[in-house]
Amino acid sequence: MNTANDLLTIRNLTTSFRIKETYHAAVEDVSLSLKKNEVLAIVGESGCGKSTLATTIVGLYNPVNTKVKGEIFYNNQNLTSLNDEQFNSLRGNDIGFIFQDPLSALNPLMRIGEQIAEGLMYHTKLSKQQRGERVLELLNQVGIAKPERVARQFPHQLSGGMRQRVMIAIALSCKPSILIADEPTTALDVTIQAQILDLLKALQSETETGIILITHDLGVVAEMADRVAVMYAGEVVEEAPVQELFTNAKHPYTRSLLNSIPQTHSENERLEVIQGMVPSLVNLPREGCRFSARIPWIDASAHEKTPQLHEIAPGHFVRCTCWKRFRFEGGEGGGTV
Amino acid sequence: MEQQNNEMVKFENSPPTGMQVVLREFKKDKLAIISFLGITFLIIGFLVAAMFLNQEEILKIKLLERYTEPGVNGYKLGTDEAGRDMLGQLVIGAKNSILIAFAITIITSIAGIGLGIVMGYYGGFIDNLFMRITEFFMTLPNLMVIIVFVTIIPKYGIFELILIISLFQWMSTARLVRSKALSEGRRDYVSASKTMGTSDFAIMFKGILPNLSSILIVELTLNFAGNVGIETGLSFLGFGLPPSTPSLGTLVNYARNPIVLSEKWWVWLPASILILILMLGINYVGQALRRAADAKQRIG
Repeated sequence: MNTANDLLTIRNLTTSFRIKETYHAAVEDVSLSLKKNEVLAIVGESGCGKSTLATTIVGLYNPVNTKVKGEIFYNNQNLTSLNDEQFNSLRGNDIGFIFQDPLSALNPLMRIGEQIAEGLMYHTKLSKQQRGERVLELLNQVGIAKPERVARQFPHQLSGGMRQRVMIAIALSCKPSILIADEPTTALDVTIQAQILDLLKALQSETETGIILITHDLGVVAEMADRVAVMYAGEVVEEAPVQELFTNAKHPYTRSLLNSIPQTHSENERLEVIQGMVPSLVNLPREGCRFSARIPWIDASAHEKTPQLHEIAPGHFVRCTCWKRFRFEGGEGGGTV
Repeated sequence: MEQQNNEMVKFENSPPTGMQVVLREFKKDKLAIISFLGITFLIIGFLVAAMFLNQEEILKIKLLERYTEPGVNGYKLGTDEAGRDMLGQLVIGAKNSILIAFAITIITSIAGIGLGIVMGYYGGFIDNLFMRITEFFMTLPNLMVIIVFVTIIPKYGIFELILIISLFQWMSTARLVRSKALSEGRRDYVSASKTMGTSDFAIMFKGILPNLSSILIVELTLNFAGNVGIETGLSFLGFGLPPSTPSLGTLVNYARNPIVLSEKWWVWLPASILILILMLGINYVGQALRRAADAKQRIG
């Protein structure tokens, strides 16, 4: 799994939060890697640990109440062991981060131009004038019409799509080799979503950045990603190239997810749903297959005692063995063995 | 044309910002405008006038001219029991009071803002530690402690008084800033700033502080009024400035003599009225600013 052209390698990463004096893992034993010029999508429902994974990578966790185990390798540096100063020289410069809600992620009392120039100030030796030029260049690059004017404006004067473009410009300002996008289109309406995704794609092919795209929108995944990791309750349950995942999904959770996408041709049918809810962090069963509680019609013997990731095809990993005997409730379609 | 177009678009699109809101709020509130113009005029007037006065000449004791009535012998506001010109003393006293209040406001706000923002931003242990210290200071009866300090310190002047009062006045600002910084420091833009590699110091003072500016301006304005009150109060009680240094409080202090209070009104009345006007004016301006800072209370 670990090859030389990996940009970022995550090995056995566990992030736990302290809740009432005991630590509960929100991300458990996750191993992933990101290659150059690749879009790795991380999918899952709310509360499955996607964002925790992202914030752990950039070190945005509270050091007192959070415990991080495992390794995140970037350029032979283990990110989990860096101190603040070392992290600051990396963040923004090598790793860019795009937030979900662009309005709250921009400082309301700072002009757009200054916010974009902030990263340049810390990570490059450009003069003030050169920074100004680079800001305009970046705004141009993300498709903003009047960069001179926008650079002088405040966030509240821009529309939602423009704000997200500004966020992208900020993340790209120092030409990072990794871009982490935490649900970049969730706060936007559908037409703007498409524009932003197109923009991200275009910028990626230009700059060869590796992107970690965190989303719960499978449509976005299908359009953008090269490889997909599906997370459930803090674990990666399936990892596969995007084609493989959409045509040949194995894990019950992935299949249920795909099954619950609304289909346009079946107007009168009920929407497929996954039974139950993601268990909360405190009540999460730590043993056995974590998805078993939501597919109670599958016999308990189908699950592994300690579910492992199995490589069932090149590059296609599935956790637990329950997929072999999984069928939708009441339906057929048991796993193909 | 292009320029004009831009201006129009900007005007239509954006809600009023910063100064525009403040201006609108003041326009709706006549009292605030009058107060603002009044206190600016008074403060600048007293500060400038005090520069041209000969303090030694005014404070020279001339027993022959005790309690001269206003208008007699060229003393426009009369003289006190030692024959010192009341108008001159009023100007110098007002200057001293204003400068002291100003200095206290600046010192306490620097301490309060710095401490508050650090507490709010870091939270956890640091917050706990400094909050307990702040609470300790808040439980002290300020006025009493200041009086004790003033009595213990053998020789003191304006500078020492400023430091002593400042020592017991920074808590409310610190608490206010902490509570705002706590909520502001958990916003996404702070995290975003961190992902850009911004240092904690820059985030605190360049990122968060400007977002607290609206409440800070209000707090500082009202603090200023409060500090004028504390200084004059202390001087009135006789624990503020020594009698050789006039302040509004020491002038009002003369009214403790019943004869002066009932018969020599010119000795204490001008200073009392000036205190009243200053405090009221600053408070009206502060309230207008407060309304401008809080969208729910706005009338403009």
